[in-house]
Amino acid sequence: MSTTALIFTLVLLAGFSFWLGRKRSFAVVNGDAWKLHSLPNYYGYYTAIWCGIPALMITAMWLFFENTIITHLVVVDLPEEIRSLSPDRLNLVVNDIRNLVSGNIVSSDVDPAMRAAADHYIHLQAISQAALTVLVLAIAISGALLALRAIRQEKRARNAVERIVMIFLLASSTIAIFTTLGIVLSVLFEAIRFFETVPLTSFLFGLEWSPQMAIREDQVGSSGAFGAIPLFAGTLLISFIAMLVAVPIGLLSAIYLAEYASKRVRAMAKPLLEILAGIPTVVYGFFAALTVAPFIRDSGGLLGLDVSSESALAAGLVMGIMIIPFVSSLSDDVINAVPQAMRDGSEGLGATKSETIKKVIIPAALPGIVGGILLAVSRAIGETMIVVMAAGLSANLTANPLEAVTTVTVQIVTLLVGDQEFDSPKTLAAFALGLLLFVVTLILNIIALHVVRKYREQYE
Amino acid sequence: MDNSPKHTTDLVRQGLAKRYRQEARFRRMGMTAIILGLAFVSMLFISIIGNGYSAFWQTYAQLEVHLDASKIDPEGTRDSDVIADADYGGIIKQSLRDMFPDVTGRRDKRTLYRLVSNGASYDLKDFVVANPDRIGTTIQLWVPADDDIDMLMKGHFDRDKPESERRIKDNQIAWVDTFVEQNRIESRFNKTFFTAGDSRDPELAGIWGAATGSFFTLIITLLLAFPLGVATAVYLEEFAPQNKWTDVIEVNINNLAAVPSIVFGLLGLAVFINFIGMPRSAPLVGGMVLTLMTLPTIIIASRAALKSVPPSIREAALGVGASKMQMVFHHVLPLAMPGMLTGTIIGMAQALGESAPLLMIGMVAFIVDIPTGVLDPSTVLPVQIYLWADSPERAFVERTSAAIMVLLAFLIAMNALAVLLRKKFERRW
Amino acid sequence: MTFQIDSGIDLPGQELGLVSKMPAVENNGKVSRDDRKTVGDITHADPRMTCRDVHVWYGDKHALNDVDLDIGKNEVIAMIGPSGCGKSTFIRCLNRMNDSIDGCRVSGDLIMDGQDIYDRKMDVVLLRAMVGMVFQKPNPFPKSIFENVAYGPRIHGLAAAKTDIEEIVVTSLQKAGLWDEVKDYLDQPGTGLSGGQQQRLCIARAIAVNPEVVLMDEPCSALDPIATARIEELIDELREHYTIAIVTHSMQQAARVSQRTAYFHLGDLIEVGETDQIFTNPKHQLTEDYITGRFG
Repeated sequence: MSTTALIFTLVLLAGFSFWLGRKRSFAVVNGDAWKLHSLPNYYGYYTAIWCGIPALMITAMWLFFENTIITHLVVVDLPEEIRSLSPDRLNLVVNDIRNLVSGNIVSSDVDPAMRAAADHYIHLQAISQAALTVLVLAIAISGALLALRAIRQEKRARNAVERIVMIFLLASSTIAIFTTLGIVLSVLFEAIRFFETVPLTSFLFGLEWSPQMAIREDQVGSSGAFGAIPLFAGTLLISFIAMLVAVPIGLLSAIYLAEYASKRVRAMAKPLLEILAGIPTVVYGFFAALTVAPFIRDSGGLLGLDVSSESALAAGLVMGIMIIPFVSSLSDDVINAVPQAMRDGSEGLGATKSETIKKVIIPAALPGIVGGILLAVSRAIGETMIVVMAAGLSANLTANPLEAVTTVTVQIVTLLVGDQEFDSPKTLAAFALGLLLFVVTLILNIIALHVVRKYREQYE
Repeated sequence: MDNSPKHTTDLVRQGLAKRYRQEARFRRMGMTAIILGLAFVSMLFISIIGNGYSAFWQTYAQLEVHLDASKIDPEGTRDSDVIADADYGGIIKQSLRDMFPDVTGRRDKRTLYRLVSNGASYDLKDFVVANPDRIGTTIQLWVPADDDIDMLMKGHFDRDKPESERRIKDNQIAWVDTFVEQNRIESRFNKTFFTAGDSRDPELAGIWGAATGSFFTLIITLLLAFPLGVATAVYLEEFAPQNKWTDVIEVNINNLAAVPSIVFGLLGLAVFINFIGMPRSAPLVGGMVLTLMTLPTIIIASRAALKSVPPSIREAALGVGASKMQMVFHHVLPLAMPGMLTGTIIGMAQALGESAPLLMIGMVAFIVDIPTGVLDPSTVLPVQIYLWADSPERAFVERTSAAIMVLLAFLIAMNALAVLLRKKFERRW
Repeated sequence: MTFQIDSGIDLPGQELGLVSKMPAVENNGKVSRDDRKTVGDITHADPRMTCRDVHVWYGDKHALNDVDLDIGKNEVIAMIGPSGCGKSTFIRCLNRMNDSIDGCRVSGDLIMDGQDIYDRKMDVVLLRAMVGMVFQKPNPFPKSIFENVAYGPRIHGLAAAKTDIEEIVVTSLQKAGLWDEVKDYLDQPGTGLSGGQQQRLCIARAIAVNPEVVLMDEPCSALDPIATARIEELIDELREHYTIAIVTHSMQQAARVSQRTAYFHLGDLIEVGETDQIFTNPKHQLTEDYITGRFG
């Protein structure tokens, strides 16, 4: 039975055992449901859980380990000369076998040893699938039977079911932690492996970035250079341009909508601006590459400036547009959190609206606004698609917004997309960059969230 | 100093004009910001729609095709396998040669053949397999024109430029004009765009494959993220004790909400693909990555929804003897459900538009086949947009914009649904 | 004049059966509850502000109905009455603080120095510099004590030199009776003071602009008795330089600080008179009902 069919059968079995459990609970009290400790449905749930959950867990475990075990068994049976290969080459062989198994290689001239190994693999897979089916169905049925036998009048089915639900709730809430842990471990391990070949200092302070490693040792430029400074500089340049666009426009439009605009204007303009927040970043990237970058290049040309068609200006400008609603909605929140009494106090003294805003509201809301801007910066630094589509690939160390620069995220994408080889410094470098990106944005977020929370408490 | 009120009013009066000028200037700055913001929105939409609306039409050319029995079914078996194996490309070429008999050079011939799409031979095959009785006759067949011809007809190539600067040559223009004169060219609704998978030929490329991939990915995301998100929110809001551990979870969730999406892609690549060994490019993995990414959104929205249910409801339920679990599942959860669903829809809209983490897990491959399951290699709409945006052909610019329009339509529909849901079930306690 | 029951305002009198047909004069000699014409002398010998036929609407709600009242120079006039009677609405008209409320309309004449303050030519900024306001809840800005007081003079450009500003701050704090308590903490945030100190800081902030009139909207409602007593003393001292209009919920406070008292009821100005007379011998039945605690 295929895995999908197996899971489907399990669900059916669980549904059936719900019915059985419910029926049985009536039977033990001769139909007087009120005599039972719990409602009849709880006996149904109880039986269904015993039928489904252990079986599902076994299936998951089995599928998790199946590949590793089968591969191991296949490798053990490979001819001696293949087994003695270096781990890297052996991995390639295993990959080939897997490709043979899934039918991705249809060429006729396949090494008979490989063919045999693939057949072996398929054979083991079939055995494993059959064993799994038998085992899981047996566990499901015996689980249901055990649960059915345990049903008595005084059986606390509700408590048992609620305990299991509670475990599920608790387990779900830990996913956030496991995600963070997963992120940290996955980037950290690969990054450490990277720093074994490239020293941390030359990564953090190196001025040259050219990750193009030669495939063979004797090729020119095989060393590659992994100095990340040009990437930081590019990232910061583009983020800075983005903030130059987003902060004034976002902040001023939030102020205008909150303090000046009539109800009708607010009801119209606010949702229209919020559309910007819902547009996927890939759309912004396309807009930047198709419309904005050529426009900037052409208008630069009219002024006699030499503007790159992948200029930092274009990417930064469009990224700024993307961040406008983010800044404006955060500013809107903090401006509205300033109590009306502050406005009354200032206007009661005869201050004009703009004086009230500039001298009372903004200073009062400043921590919140700064927090919002930090979050926006973190977003700009981590933004990927716009820069992948509109910024360049070459790592120029420049502060000129008309030139092309590259960013951390662009390099992560270029290093990892399409590259299948997992151990070269080139791929590992992507993880080192990922670690850096994660750490920087994490610090920004923690500071920002802290500042914003402190600010909210001030007025609560 | 003089402290009389009269003196004060005089001083205030002196400064008034300047202060009102500042006021007006500040107001104008605010207005300018709003107008700029709105201008950006409209520029974006004008640029996308202006570039993309024409992709919903495709130029078709009518060919007079002689279904030569000796080429299609020389033995007259009328067996569909035999018919399907015939060289229809050759037949199409023959019909073009028949139409323009004075084209002789090898180069010119090849250019001539490129008037119609590579897909024309498939259309012809389908027609003949469906109508084997027409073998031996001459038929009029509408086939999609090549993307360059399509662009020419849509006016994207400037005929007045010198030939060397044009993608399309003088002889091609002449042939197309012949087609036009004979009423053999027309613009039709581009069904292919909505039904086909990806293709190297713009006129054969469609978004159906990517849309299906998006659908599978989103289904996985929804199935995982909704129960997990709601369960987490319920635990944190209703059951969690106030302690360090709960704090750690909360800080984690808030931080995850602001982690760059590409980092989730790195996690997916390192853990799901390299460590667990799941297949690359599969919607299953994509859905799992997007689940982790959208979970914080759903959890935060669900918690807000739970918070808005007044404590009196909880007390009432506990007061009639419900267990805490029953109170949550019978009373609180149904009341919080609209808010949770709204948050989930917004999270799903986010997931639908996301592309960066999916690049990391290989959903960026060129995939022609429509995926049929969550393990099939596939791509998603935003990644398809990314791929097409990289293609040099002019016709792909149009199709990219059109794909964006479709994606935005979905997103707008989802957000509208969320707004509607919120409006409908908004409750003031 | 007939009384229109306004659906928007809650009617404590109605619930008690107070709004019913009765003779124009009751048997104890008081003006009947039905008669809503203002009783007593609304004028003042030396008026600072003169209000005639003042009506205020919030949307459809008629919040203030035909109020005539003079506010004299260097007097403290108290506005009393049950919640929702229009007393706050009235003093908020006097420096046009109602302008910022959506849907608020004001009609009638409010004259100050021969100029209608709702006139198109009247400048709100100027008006508010002349008519300062202290609010119900102390609302110091999240700035230092010094900056709180210096705020008004700075925005209005009242002091050219730094020393002038300092002088204004010091005198204002002295007038507000806060100087001795805060003179060593001028750079500390104003929000760190106690409630009573904050309110005196707000008074100092208001008088730093050197206004002619100070409006106080229940300035002691958020304070404890000791802080309240301190503010009341202060009001008495300030009378020397300023005209003060104070809204209060506490009849005792009105009796203690004011020379004249105006009683408002459901949007009508019921009775005006010398404070002593209002509290010892009110002429209107509604005033008597209120001050004797029959409702309110």
